[in-house]
Amino acid sequence: MSFIDNIMAGFSLVANLESFLALLVGITIGTVAGAIPGLSATMAVALTLPFTFSMTPITGILLLLGVYKGGIFGGSIPAILIKTPGTPASSATILDGYPLAEKGQAGKALGMALWASCTADLISNLALILFAGWLASFALNFGPPEFFTLILFSLTIIAGVSGESLLRGALSAMFGLLLATVGLDLIYGTQRFTFENPNMMGGLNFIAVLIGLFAIPEIIGMVWNPKADEGKSRALGNNWVTFQEYRNSFRSIVRGSFIGVFLGSIPGIGAAPSAFLSYSEARRKSKNKENFGKGELEGVAAAEAGNNGVAGATLIPLLALGVPGDVITAIILGAFMVHGLQPGPMMFLINADIIYGLFIGLIVSSVFLFFIGSIAIRGFKYVADIPRSILFPSVMVLCVYGVFAVNNNLFDVGVMFVMGWIGFFMIQYKIPAAPFLIAFILGPLLEDNFRQSMLMSGSSASILFRGPITWFFWLLTSITVFTIARAGIKTRQNDS
Amino acid sequence: MSDKLIQLRLGIGAICLAAFLLLIAIPFWVTSPSNVPNIILSPIFWPNTLAIITALTGIGLVLSGLSLFSVKAPKSFNSEKNTRAFFRLSILGFIMGITILVMPSLGLVWTMMLVFSSSAFLVGTTYTKTAIICSIVLPLILYLFFAHVAGVAIPQGDYVRLP
Repeated sequence: MSFIDNIMAGFSLVANLESFLALLVGITIGTVAGAIPGLSATMAVALTLPFTFSMTPITGILLLLGVYKGGIFGGSIPAILIKTPGTPASSATILDGYPLAEKGQAGKALGMALWASCTADLISNLALILFAGWLASFALNFGPPEFFTLILFSLTIIAGVSGESLLRGALSAMFGLLLATVGLDLIYGTQRFTFENPNMMGGLNFIAVLIGLFAIPEIIGMVWNPKADEGKSRALGNNWVTFQEYRNSFRSIVRGSFIGVFLGSIPGIGAAPSAFLSYSEARRKSKNKENFGKGELEGVAAAEAGNNGVAGATLIPLLALGVPGDVITAIILGAFMVHGLQPGPMMFLINADIIYGLFIGLIVSSVFLFFIGSIAIRGFKYVADIPRSILFPSVMVLCVYGVFAVNNNLFDVGVMFVMGWIGFFMIQYKIPAAPFLIAFILGPLLEDNFRQSMLMSGSSASILFRGPITWFFWLLTSITVFTIARAGIKTRQNDS
Repeated sequence: MSDKLIQLRLGIGAICLAAFLLLIAIPFWVTSPSNVPNIILSPIFWPNTLAIITALTGIGLVLSGLSLFSVKAPKSFNSEKNTRAFFRLSILGFIMGITILVMPSLGLVWTMMLVFSSSAFLVGTTYTKTAIICSIVLPLILYLFFAHVAGVAIPQGDYVRLP
């Protein structure tokens, strides 16, 4: 099918009230959840996932993508108004957003955050449409050895950049890979760590592990310290951002969007580093660099463009290669799987209508984000007033219902609770959870591709170095390990 | 907790876990057919490889922990607060355990009402009325969605059954 045919097929799939409503509801949920300190975009997407089971694949995935995009923007609202980022990605927004709020210009800062977010979101979506198809057609040449090296590279970079230490990230990834071995063996069908329990023969449920790892630790953390994250909200003020101010920051917004697109398309980097890089680049190039950190509108624009520029781009490796770039895309990968779809190069051939339907939905989401964001800015007071002592028990109830609904199985609820305590322990010991989850999802794929490679070569490891693609990924993996290890040693030397 | 202590504890923990996997868990709880032609294709190869890499990561953590300077992390809370926090955590653990035990007989909806109210009071909510109303309304709304929209068979329990 030609590009136009694909677009038309996608359009026929999403051109209905249900899809647009899902997108609208998703963005609303995401914006509200992102705006609540303590709830993150990740948690919002994870909690929304069980509600998509009864929907058609395209509607369910659009709902989740809406939550994702809304969540990333929503995080900037408390960052500006109460100096508490709703999501880690909004940390850079505080640097100039809160000083502006202190000057009584919170409305202006939030307006700029919204304009910058929508612009970056649109650029990121266009990048996704341009590059995902191209990358997928290239990835059609991949065999098991290429996929093995690609997944290995993804896991290495995710383990390396997710936390403070490469070794702790690697340990987290190892835990995830080990947990993924639970169940029946992929080739021989023999039991691995199942303890003769039929509930464990299919492996641990992905959604139970996911919600346990990302939502329950927040509840445990709340019980540990019920008074955390209480901030005083600033008034919006009467100033609103003007078109001239948007134009003045436009170069920084576009630059930040491209930084977001570039970093977002590399698995593991995520939105927070992109926001900080975009911010520092804007400060370096700005005429008002001395104002940065004291309430510079361009700083807010750059930070928001950086973190929203990632949102569409993280879907490039997911859709084209089937490799999630971060935790949220890992959840979205889970949603695809729940609906019987496997993202990757073949999806562009088999389910091109869904892919292009998603592209159309994503473009529309930027417009919806603008309108819902404008309302959310004014309505933040009501969201911020939700008491945490009511919010977190609600999250607990949502978690139990959501996890139970996956398989109608109480065992999954138990897995979720256990994973919650493991997640809390990981937070206490500064072990990043992202490598754990992504390794848990990619573990079977990694093992499967490794064993297929071995079958193909008669157990010769040389197949893992069989061509330029595998060499390229080995090289990238080596560079990643070397760079992260060197950065760690330098930091240690500076500390001492 | 200082970074040094964290690295050392994690490293020792990882080495112990790897030893447990290699010596007990994999030999006893991973079954492999006796006629596997090649060790690389055996079901135990992958878990063994992961266990060895975990051990190596653990050794790396211990070595990097030993090379770190011991800096005392500032105490963020006093011991009385700490004891109370641990007490709350143990109650939460108890609530989670009880949830699993009573859900089949009490039903998901009624159990969730109890879980909501008990966890809200555990964190010392001052919004008593809101907590009670939410503890009744939220599980019911979710029941309506999952049972009647999504078609999930929500466990009803042995006592009070919902339509």
